[in-house]
Amino acid sequence: MEKREVLFRIKRFNPKKDEKPYFQEYKLTVPKGMTVLEALQQIKDTQDPTLAFRAFCRSAICGSCAVKVNGFPKLACKTQIFNELDKFGTDTLTLEPLDNMEIIRDLIVDWDKPFKRMEEMKPWLVPDPEVVPKTLDEESRVYPNELKKFDSFTDCILCTSCFSSCTATQIDENYGGPFQLARVYRFAVDPRDALKAERSKIGYAFDMWNCVRCNKCADVCPKHISPVDGIMKLRGLSIDVGLKDNPGARHVMAFYKSLLESGMLNEVLLPLRTKGIKGVLENLPVGIKMILRGKAHSPVMKPIGEHETLIKVMKAAMEVE
Amino acid sequence: MGRYAFYPGCAAKGASKELYESTIAVAEKLGIELVELPQFSCCGAGVLEEVKEAVDLAVNARNLAYAEKEGLDIVTVCSTCLLVLRKTKYLLDNDEDLKEEVNEILSEAGLEYKGTVDVKHFHWVLLEEFGEEGLRKRVVKPLSNLKVYPYYGCHTVRPESILGFEPSENPQSLEKIIKALGAEPVSGERRLECCGFHAFWPAPKMSMKLTGLNLLDARRNGANCMTTPCPLCHMNLDANQSRALKEVGESFKLPVLHVPQLVGLALGIEPKKLGLHRNIVPVNY
Repeated sequence: MEKREVLFRIKRFNPKKDEKPYFQEYKLTVPKGMTVLEALQQIKDTQDPTLAFRAFCRSAICGSCAVKVNGFPKLACKTQIFNELDKFGTDTLTLEPLDNMEIIRDLIVDWDKPFKRMEEMKPWLVPDPEVVPKTLDEESRVYPNELKKFDSFTDCILCTSCFSSCTATQIDENYGGPFQLARVYRFAVDPRDALKAERSKIGYAFDMWNCVRCNKCADVCPKHISPVDGIMKLRGLSIDVGLKDNPGARHVMAFYKSLLESGMLNEVLLPLRTKGIKGVLENLPVGIKMILRGKAHSPVMKPIGEHETLIKVMKAAMEVE
Repeated sequence: MGRYAFYPGCAAKGASKELYESTIAVAEKLGIELVELPQFSCCGAGVLEEVKEAVDLAVNARNLAYAEKEGLDIVTVCSTCLLVLRKTKYLLDNDEDLKEEVNEILSEAGLEYKGTVDVKHFHWVLLEEFGEEGLRKRVVKPLSNLKVYPYYGCHTVRPESILGFEPSENPQSLEKIIKALGAEPVSGERRLECCGFHAFWPAPKMSMKLTGLNLLDARRNGANCMTTPCPLCHMNLDANQSRALKEVGESFKLPVLHVPQLVGLALGIEPKKLGLHRNIVPVNY
């Protein structure tokens, strides 16, 4: 069987005795197919019993073993070492604890912050008395077309990989977080839930409009969930329930309006339409520079070719259930 | 050389006119035929999904349907347009029911989505058509001694399941192009980070801070300039540069070139044709 000598650079930190985290190196002969978790266990068993990491099911279902592998969050139990080495053209594997959380020890992070945040957002079913029967004798049915809307989001195993990589979480203390907001969406479209789209107001309170749509959450999720899609749909629901007077919602409507008017985005009117006079004033210095360099189109835009087909398509789409 | 349906996107048609100009100039020089379809509309930048998913899908299926009529793959120069168009294609090609639903909407306008064309980024096409070596052979003014920070941004690489041209965790397309032009890529740890453009309106400070950190990383890695395949990243990095640097307590000037501008310089295209005079941070070439 193919084998490779691999250098593991593992971030170590014991807050009780270390001032700051540091890297420790281990060498291991790795056979093809070996996972990161198997390597960690072998290092612990044969080289360094003090190495701390978290693991349980070894089947990519409990979500406890997520670590950063060469900079990206992964479940150690489902990540084969050779694949990672090939991707980076290296024989060194750097393992670090997840980001955006405190380190308890070595590769183990404290989940309190993301989970408390999730609890604050009430991601559990509040039964709708008109839909959910009072006794267990009757079933509460969810039809396939209803389930399709939130099915993928129920696959979340709370591994916090997305939370670790989230751009908005790094910058905005009040931001709800990717898996948490996606979970709010999951219940907002559950036909059995009493709060339904009103739940988008929770998302609003937790800065869902600050999602930068970097798509890291979609990329790192080991269960192939795309939290960003849930967040964007939750934003849409917030407009439906009347949260329209904010820059995020107005920005959306500015696009919609532009497409109906000409088919292309009216960039010149965008600041005004999104943020009113404040938007114009905030962006005036840059706007003037851009105008001087011939980077602004006329505020009145010529419609695209066959614009009428776009209008027809948009109107028909709006009428779909 | 290939013939493509050119989808410039709103930015290249407006605030990033220099991207349109440089793309056309480079394509002409290299013999790539770009056919701009007059029916192409704005892709909605993903925010149409927030009006209603069906609207987002139908608008973009319409764009794809017009390219299908011409039998041409789409080439775009905007990363967000790329993601939105590819995502529509991905969703419709993998869900027969959804495709049928969207086609019912399109039939109102006498159109049909079949799934016969691909959507590519312009710099992917450069590598596909010429490869690193082929590009190098066409360089007449090598960009020697120039250190370029390759800034990918998000929507050319993530999510890999939809973009898929290269591994999203370690893409090399920009490094390859930079090397082919005779310049030196100076890749830093923020080359795959977000510029915050899509949160610019609700959270300008956050957006500017992210852009500031990216500029700072380029500077710390000794870059003489940055290059990006996304006009939205470019708007934050170039037009909003001084505001972004203020957010991280810095003040310097770092030129940011669209990928076709950088390529065009090495191909010996006259700077004016590349719209370099339109960049907000001056470019000394």
